[in-house]
Amino acid sequence: MTIAPNKPYAEDLTIGMALPTVKFGPMDRFDYIPIALILRDTNPLHLDRVYAQERGLPDTVQQGPLNQAYLYEFFTNWLHQPWDLASTEIRFSANVFPEDILHCGGEIEGLEVGEEYDIVHCRLWQKNDEGISILTGKASGRLPKHPK
Amino acid sequence: MPISFATSKPIDRKALIGKVLRTANYRVSTEDVQDFMGVMPQPSGSTEKVPQIAPPTFAPLVAVLGLLRTFDWSADFEFDYRDGTAMFGEQSIEFHRPLYVNEEVEISAMINDVYEKSGRQKFDVVELAFKIKGDRDGQLVMTGKQSYILFK
Repeated sequence: MTIAPNKPYAEDLTIGMALPTVKFGPMDRFDYIPIALILRDTNPLHLDRVYAQERGLPDTVQQGPLNQAYLYEFFTNWLHQPWDLASTEIRFSANVFPEDILHCGGEIEGLEVGEEYDIVHCRLWQKNDEGISILTGKASGRLPKHPK
Repeated sequence: MPISFATSKPIDRKALIGKVLRTANYRVSTEDVQDFMGVMPQPSGSTEKVPQIAPPTFAPLVAVLGLLRTFDWSADFEFDYRDGTAMFGEQSIEFHRPLYVNEEVEISAMINDVYEKSGRQKFDVVELAFKIKGDRDGQLVMTGKQSYILFK
C-alpha cells in the first residue's frame, strides 16, 4: 500500500493510500488529573486504581475524550493546518490504561474536488500494542492545491 | 468492565426521543487550554504557550463537557451514575469554524434517538444531537451527535 506524504496537497493523493502511522505513549496516569479537571468529571474509575481494580479493571481507565484527542492529533498534524479539519465520526470500542501505547493510522477513502480546496475523506483507527481496536471512525479535511 | 444497574422497574427510554435538554455554557478558558496542552505532545519548535485559537484536539472535550452539563443522568435518562457505568458510544462532529480561547460557547442538545441493544447484557443507546455556538460572532462552531451506552 502506498503511503501518503505528510502535509499533502490535493494532487499528491489517491484513494487507497495509507496515512503514515504515528505512535503515542506510553500513556501516563497523571495526565488523567488535568483531563478530569477540564471535563469536571471526577469519576474514580479514571483516578483511583484501587476503585477500578475492585470493579474488575486492570487499572484506572483513560478518559475517552483523551483517546480521541490523540487520534485528532494524528489526523490534524497530517493536514497543512490543524483547523483544516472538517468533520469526524468516531466509535469508542475499548478502554485505554496507563502505560498503553496508542498506534494511529488510516486510509484515504475519498477525494472531493473543490474550487479553492479539495476535501479528503479518510478512515481512521487507533489500536493498542496488542492490536486491540480502541477507536475507529472517519475524518475529513481540507487540502490546499499545489501552489502554481 | 461496566457495572450493571439492577432495577425492578422496566425502563422505557423511547419516550425520551425529542426531549430538548437544558442549554449549557462553557468558557474556553486559558487555564483549561493550557492544562490540555500540557498533556498533549507539542510540535517541535512550538513556543506558543497559550494560542489564540484552541487546538482542534481540544474540541471533542468541549463537546463532551458541554453535553454533560445539558442533562442529568438520573432526571433525564433514568440512570444511576453512582451505581451504573455509562460509556461513550459514538461521536460525530462537523466543524464550522475554529474554537477561540476565551470565547464562551453555548451548547444546546436534544435526545435524537433511543434504542436497545444486546451484547453480554442489554443496554440502551441514547443519542444526542447538539449545536455549539460561540459568543465571538454568534455563529456555529460545531454541530454533531454523541451517543451514550446506558447499562440496564
